[in-house]
Amino acid sequence: MAAFIAMIKGIISSMLKWITPPPLVLSNGKVVRPAISAMWIIVPIISFLTLWSISMTRFRLDMLIRRGGQFFVIVSRMIPPNYAYFDNIITPMISTILMSLVGTIIGAGLALPFAYASSELNQSKIGKFAVRGFFSIARTLPVLVLAVIAMIIFGAGAFAGTFAIAIFTFTIMVKMFFELIDTADMGPFEAILSSGASRIQAFWTSIMPQLWGQYYSLTLYNLEMNIRNAAILGYVGAGGIGIVLAERLAWRVYPDVGLILLVLMITVLVIESISREIRRRLL
Amino acid sequence: MIQFTDVVKRYPNGVEALKGVSLTIEQGEFVAIIGLSGAGKSTLLRAINQMHTITSGSLKVNGVEVSSLKGKSLRRFRRGIGMVFQSFNLIKRTTVIKNVLAARVADMSVLQSLLSFYTKKDKIIALEALDQVGILEKAYIRADQLSGGQQQRVALARTVAQQPSIILADEPVASLDPVTSAQVMNDFLRINEALNITVVANMHHVDLALKYARRVIGIKEGIIVYDGPAEGINRETLKEIYGRDLTEDELKGEK
Repeated sequence: MAAFIAMIKGIISSMLKWITPPPLVLSNGKVVRPAISAMWIIVPIISFLTLWSISMTRFRLDMLIRRGGQFFVIVSRMIPPNYAYFDNIITPMISTILMSLVGTIIGAGLALPFAYASSELNQSKIGKFAVRGFFSIARTLPVLVLAVIAMIIFGAGAFAGTFAIAIFTFTIMVKMFFELIDTADMGPFEAILSSGASRIQAFWTSIMPQLWGQYYSLTLYNLEMNIRNAAILGYVGAGGIGIVLAERLAWRVYPDVGLILLVLMITVLVIESISREIRRRLL
Repeated sequence: MIQFTDVVKRYPNGVEALKGVSLTIEQGEFVAIIGLSGAGKSTLLRAINQMHTITSGSLKVNGVEVSSLKGKSLRRFRRGIGMVFQSFNLIKRTTVIKNVLAARVADMSVLQSLLSFYTKKDKIIALEALDQVGILEKAYIRADQLSGGQQQRVALARTVAQQPSIILADEPVASLDPVTSAQVMNDFLRINEALNITVVANMHHVDLALKYARRVIGIKEGIIVYDGPAEGINRETLKEIYGRDLTEDELKGEK
């Protein structure tokens, strides 16, 4: 047994010797020992995880090579898109945009007081960690799951989708925004507090003016994300363009699918560039 | 009147910042507190408006035992005490007038302050306060556009707009150049005399403290080692407060 432990120790020490970089000697004789590179730990872990994933997902390179070409066959069938189908998608497209707009506004608005409650400004430690904990759990729910739950409660349709987007935005905005609150300059807060204001009043008058720009920017960022989210919500029946997309794809009417994807891409690009421009001006 | 009786402040980490402080400050006095960094100047100042709670002893402001105040009554009490900071603590991303108006939110309902609903009377008070410190024309400029001296005047105006009976100043000129420092100290003196507001200021600059304050309190390791008129301060007393002789430059607060 003792011999075995000695052997393991020997192996480890010789490995350490192998990966330790040679000491550097300065011209005045001082010796500096460089640290062992973290790569010796990171590379084996990443390699292991990659190999494990490949065997787990049965990822097959030969399949990719043999069938991958089909992707381009399907894309080519979408071209030219069926422009005549446009009248059928304009309403669901607008409804998709409105779903994400309304959902984002509601979610972002609700997030404000809860971000305050999660921040260091909340004096109750228990309260702060309770709120943070609740939202950590709530954030683990993907938007599609939220949509399915909303549909069970409210029935299929755009309302369920809007609700799902609002809750989703709400939970992530709370985290994003409370972290911003905690980086704000606390000096003005102390000043307003010392004038006899309540903590809420001091927060509103001294912290929020520092953060409005970033708050609107975060909201717009969420809007961008939610447009893409809203487009897939239709797959589970929660309204928007996704319903039409799923249906046309199921029927394999590729020219119609082509038009839907084209309109979707243009919409996302337009909204993203508007949002980016506003955010650039805000910050 | 501010009345300390055997006030002790012990921080949770065990540091005793005040070790039994007793002193009385009458309404309308201009008091400078001098001493090394960490001697307890800041703690002394923040005890007066309960930004720091005291561990034991009695601290009365205008006859009210400060440590008995909580919540709403504490906030109402704080309205009567203005505070000015070394780093000004302005809300930099907003205008000068809004900074001054921020001192009014304590008198407003939560809903009013959420909507930033300031009355005409509030605005007049704010503008008059800015006029007092001579920067009325900067009212609608963003606070971060102003120089350090101007920012400290805005902070002073914010405090004046609060219409306090006491102003606590925590190193009000420590980050300003000598000329600007003198201007800001003059503002303090004018407000002290014109409105009979008590001023209690922590000062690094011994020469400024002696020039503007009529009364000087020297504090060392949480104990008051000098309390008397500015004229009574000499080499010996300074040595006692700072632990060694000060050079000419150090008196002026320069390194």
